[in-house]
Amino acid sequence: MSKPEINKCLYPIFLSCIILGLFIFSFLSTAFSNQEGVTKQYKKAVQKMDRAGQVNAETQVPKNIVRVLDEDQGGHFFTEARKSEIKRFRCSSCHNDKMVSIQGAADLSHADIKVVHGGKEKPLSCNTCHSTEDRDFLTTGKDTRIDPDHVYQMCGQCHFRQKKDWIGGAHGKRIIFWSGERVVMNCTSCHNPHSPRFAERWPKTYSVPLK
Amino acid sequence: MDSKKKNTISRRAFLTGAVSAAVTGGALVTTGCKGKNLLESSEAFALEFQEYFKKHYRLMNEMEREKTVSRLERLSKQKQGITVDIDTTGPLENVLYGYAFNVTRCEGYMECVAACVRENNLDRRSNMQYIRIFEMEHGQMSPDQGDGKYFHMVPREGHFYMGVQCFHCDNPPCVKACPTKATWREPDGIVVVDYDWCIGCRYCMAACPYYGRRFNWNQPEIPKEEITKKQHYLGNRKRVRGMMEKCTFCIQRSRKGKLTACVEACPTGARVFGNLLDPDSEIRFVLENKKVYRLKEDLGTDPKFWYFID
Ligand code: HEC
Ligand code: HEC
Ligand code: HEC
Ligand code: HEC
Repeated sequence: MSKPEINKCLYPIFLSCIILGLFIFSFLSTAFSNQEGVTKQYKKAVQKMDRAGQVNAETQVPKNIVRVLDEDQGGHFFTEARKSEIKRFRCSSCHNDKMVSIQGAADLSHADIKVVHGGKEKPLSCNTCHSTEDRDFLTTGKDTRIDPDHVYQMCGQCHFRQKKDWIGGAHGKRIIFWSGERVVMNCTSCHNPHSPRFAERWPKTYSVPLK
Repeated sequence: MDSKKKNTISRRAFLTGAVSAAVTGGALVTTGCKGKNLLESSEAFALEFQEYFKKHYRLMNEMEREKTVSRLERLSKQKQGITVDIDTTGPLENVLYGYAFNVTRCEGYMECVAACVRENNLDRRSNMQYIRIFEMEHGQMSPDQGDGKYFHMVPREGHFYMGVQCFHCDNPPCVKACPTKATWREPDGIVVVDYDWCIGCRYCMAACPYYGRRFNWNQPEIPKEEITKKQHYLGNRKRVRGMMEKCTFCIQRSRKGKLTACVEACPTGARVFGNLLDPDSEIRFVLENKKVYRLKEDLGTDPKFWYFID
């Protein structure tokens, strides 16, 4: 008859033991999994960084770049210059005040250019992008002149979402360095403006099944 | 070919005749043997002998690291005739690497895979690759369902592409699985392997839910002229048969401020790499402005590799 009495006496002790045990367990498990997760980690990092300060001896800003007229989240950044890449530049060597009197001259000099851009039936016309006053420049219409190095401004008037992503870093790509001054590829470093779609081609290599 | 074979044989024979050979080797050096080749191989032997007894990379001090690096450089010079530059640059302060992959942008050209193979001196014989690109049908979510060995014109209508490599989990299951502590997470978030401490048990490979790790079934073979000479101890230096390796976010490049080889080679800009702790970085822009997701997030591995769509 005395047995159950003892049990009753021990009841609160058992209970407190269990509670204490749970306490210790939860304490230990939080102590050992000091996992706060990367998401929390990066969200805590709000302090602005000195980009130039991250650069070490091997990071040099590439040549032939121009400072972008817009700013990204960190301030100024750069993009690849284009004029030196355009074969027929300067356009004004032909496109000047002199009249061209040869029949089909445009075909002769620009036959390679087929505009596959902006709808099958009605592709964009040359003069939507190229300034008629000065062929060395691009345009967004109404007397605007855009230097081909800043072609992103011209594309961006129609493709503003892509331009916004390009400025932020989700479209297009940065070159050479993740640190230091930010230099990104220009729109026309990747897209042919006359036929901006990426071409279908063979992959560079292939994979064998995983062992 | 021939010299490679000799290399492996001498490495294997090394243990069995270690002591006697070391003695002869030492004797040859001290007596100033006339044969230049013999002298060189005996020096190589002594170097390998010392290499065999070195410490775990993490336990080495600066001087010990310098010593092993110079031994390895010397060995490469002697055995393969290649001058490599192995560095041990530590993690940069206030840097945590992160990676994002744009699945709508990737066209499946596999330029990244080829660049990775070149940069990281991967075995050409078994066609080892750290990166795998899966061709997926619209609606599929996991690379398990995709085709990882396509070879046809890309991009294919109605398909998208998804690259998989080591995700450098912040809570890496592979590290926990390793019985010799040969793999660990560096302070900048890169999960690395000490090749000389790995015993090739492949527990980590089994523990990784992402196809992230690779095992060397044979001595890696790389055409001499294609070897990347800028190397890192924890990165693309010479590896041997029977151990694990994997993507290191091109540690030899990233710690010098450079983009990884795959990011640099990508012609579409589908790959974004940068510092998660820099609020102005591109990777942060992606994480904060795009719909991002990670693979098998419920496993709690906390990968630093996000996929996004735009
Ligand atoms: C070798 C000489 C030459 C050069 C260099 C040249 N063009 Fe032309 N281009 C012509 C000729 C000739 C025509 C036809 C006559 C005209 O419209 O002036 C023409 C026509 C054009 C047209 C109108 C086509 C049409 O179908 O209406 C555009 C737009 C144009 N050029 C843009 C350029 C741009 C931009 C450059 C520089 C990147 C350039 N051209 C460089 C010779 C040249
Ligand atoms: C969507 C805007 C756009 C349209 C439409 C367009 N162009 Fe262009 N074009 C450009 C841009 C931008 C460049 C500079 C490309 C670069 O940065 O490499 C260019 C370059 C050129 C060049 C120089 C190419 C070279 O490498 O030598 C010529 C010539 C040219 N365009 C002619 C034309 C003609 C002719 C038409 C009409 C049939 C036309 N373009 C339609 C945007 C356009
Ligand atoms: C005047 C407006 C306009 C300008 C300027 C313009 N585009 Fe476009 N672009 C369009 C239109 C319209 C389409 C078709 C959109 C669609 O099909 O949904 C298009 C489509 C595209 C596409 C998708 C092509 C495809 O077949 O899927 C790309 C890429 C592109 N443009 C890039 C550029 C680039 C790069 C520039 C600057 C050199 C540029 N665009 C300038 C109007 C423009
Ligand atoms: C690193 C290369 C790269 C750069 C730089 C780049 N793009 Fe693209 N862009 C792509 C790729 C790849 C696609 C997918 C194209 C495809 O499927 O053919 C694309 C697609 C597009 C499209 C089609 C719609 C879409 O989002 O898929 C537009 C419009 C476009 N780009 C505009 C631009 C503009 C504007 C710029 C400059 C501000 C730019 N791109 C810079 C690689 C680039």
